[in-house]
Amino acid sequence: MSEIAFFGAVEIGLVYALVALGVYLSFRVLDFPDLTVDGSFPLGAAVCATLLVAGVNPWLASLAAALAGAVAGLVTATLNVRFKILHLLASILTMIALFSVNLRVMGRPNVALLMQDTVLTPFYGLGLPDHVVRPLVVAVVVVAVVILLARFLSSEFGLAMRATGVNARMARAQGVETDFHIYTGMALSNGLCALAGALFAQTNGFADVTTGIGTIVVGLAAVIVGETVLPARAMLWALVGCVVGSILYRLAVQLALSADAIGLQASDLNLVTAVLVAVALILPRLRLKAALKREQPKGVVGR
Amino acid sequence: MITVNGIHVTFGRGTPLEKHALRGVDLTIPEGQFVTVIGSNGAGKSTFLGALAGDVIAESGSIAIDGTDVTKWATPKRASLVARVFQDPMVGSCTALTIEENMALAAARGRKRGLGFALSGDRRRHFRDRIAELGLGLESRLHDRMGLLSGGQRQAVSLLMATLAGSKILLLDEHTAALDPGTAEFVLGLTRRIVQENRLTTLMVTHSMRQALDYGDRTVMLHEGKIVLDVSGEQRAGLDVPHLLALFARQRGGEEIADDSLLIG
Ligand SMILES: Nc1ncnc2c1ncn2[C@@H]1O[C@H](COP(=O)(O)OP(=O)(O)O)[C@@H](O)[C@H]1O
Ligand SMILES: [Mg+2]
Repeated sequence: MSEIAFFGAVEIGLVYALVALGVYLSFRVLDFPDLTVDGSFPLGAAVCATLLVAGVNPWLASLAAALAGAVAGLVTATLNVRFKILHLLASILTMIALFSVNLRVMGRPNVALLMQDTVLTPFYGLGLPDHVVRPLVVAVVVVAVVILLARFLSSEFGLAMRATGVNARMARAQGVETDFHIYTGMALSNGLCALAGALFAQTNGFADVTTGIGTIVVGLAAVIVGETVLPARAMLWALVGCVVGSILYRLAVQLALSADAIGLQASDLNLVTAVLVAVALILPRLRLKAALKREQPKGVVGR
Repeated sequence: MITVNGIHVTFGRGTPLEKHALRGVDLTIPEGQFVTVIGSNGAGKSTFLGALAGDVIAESGSIAIDGTDVTKWATPKRASLVARVFQDPMVGSCTALTIEENMALAAARGRKRGLGFALSGDRRRHFRDRIAELGLGLESRLHDRMGLLSGGQRQAVSLLMATLAGSKILLLDEHTAALDPGTAEFVLGLTRRIVQENRLTTLMVTHSMRQALDYGDRTVMLHEGKIVLDVSGEQRAGLDVPHLLALFARQRGGEEIADDSLLIG
């Protein structure tokens, strides 16, 4: 793997680390299997790119992108909490709707960011090569998000959110407004995914409606890899695990792609990821089965 | 003080499985009274406690706790007034969270949860002192996940959690039913102590006639969604298990009780 390829993999891993953190919030903290992500990631890219083209400050554009993602999360949460539509279906509805929304936002299937200033612009030309600057800037954002998120989840409010996902009945008996926590968590989760989309657009120089496909699976893969290499229970370490998982996943993908012997192409990525996630979900079950020598009840996702 | 006036609850209204679970329950419990609740399976005991806690909203009638009308309040809102321990230790605690996290969750019951740390040094010390009172040696295990505790330990911690934040009433729904007899005895003793120390107005559902008479100040029997027996004081003191069983059997036979004094004797 060349140096540029290495930094490229780290950069994209860091961008998707924000997706992984969002997916961790929905899937693991709230126990809410949420596919909205496939729509909120390109939504963030679309909103950010459109605003940048209109000359808005890049940080403001990124913030607006995150807010748009948060609204998408609220839509899914409302469909589920208020109108009792099953999690997965509710999130698929939002995701499909977002495909149209994203086209509307951009007015066309893709927007190129060639001349526009991005959050990265001020850091180019400070002496470091561009392919190092990009991951560094994204890393700063990711570290800030991890610290804030860990702090949030260890607050009284955050603890109540975790209880909502683990045992909603008990949480309610303790006075936790579980619905409110689901709204908040889903907004936060999709806000992070949209922020990832905004950074993706700025680091890659374009926004495209099709970039969202498979985002959820990539996020989930990162979470699972993270849980495997850093099986920590402390909140901060679980979040760090998501980041590490996302980077490792990208490096592994890069290795596989650069090894000519395997003969993989970039377009095989979704297939490889899906297989990886499926295996990661099946393995613990097989291990359990072997250990207990009896059938385990079927679940959707997770363990 | 709890004032319940003619509450009705129907599950699955308008479906083939419609169940009129509470059919006009009236009950007034003065401050600090400890009431035991008995009745056959499906009599509506859990539904009644659920109605007090807000899990089920009564379709008619009214419920007041300490003079506040809570009839239309949902569970989280009522939590400032109501503490509970469930039958299933899995239901009453978050098995995936640590003991101290569970305690922090319970300590914030009924107040606004902000962005301050859920666990600070002070709070940890406080939780350590409180859990040491149980005498189960759990003070060294605050970082353990709740799921690692035995059923009895978990119910003991759940009881303790019920007292970490102030409340007007304590609801116990067969909270010892899932335990072995020895552990159940321990948890019941703890219940009695906690209720006395905190002077809690308490309702305890039990399937044991013995417990119903041995604990508390008053016993009510539910049958098919109605209170069919309500004894306290002298009358209750004169009652023993065979009498109560006879009453129970009579109810199951479907006979109406016109005057319960006829049957207590
Ligand atoms: N959520 C529910 N949906 C439908 N029926 C219910 C529900 N909860 C309880 N019931 C029915 O209401 C009746 C009373 O139940 P419950 O209060 O649990 O009885 P108990 O606790 O005295 O055994 C039973 O017939 C039960 O099947
Ligand atoms: Mg019951």
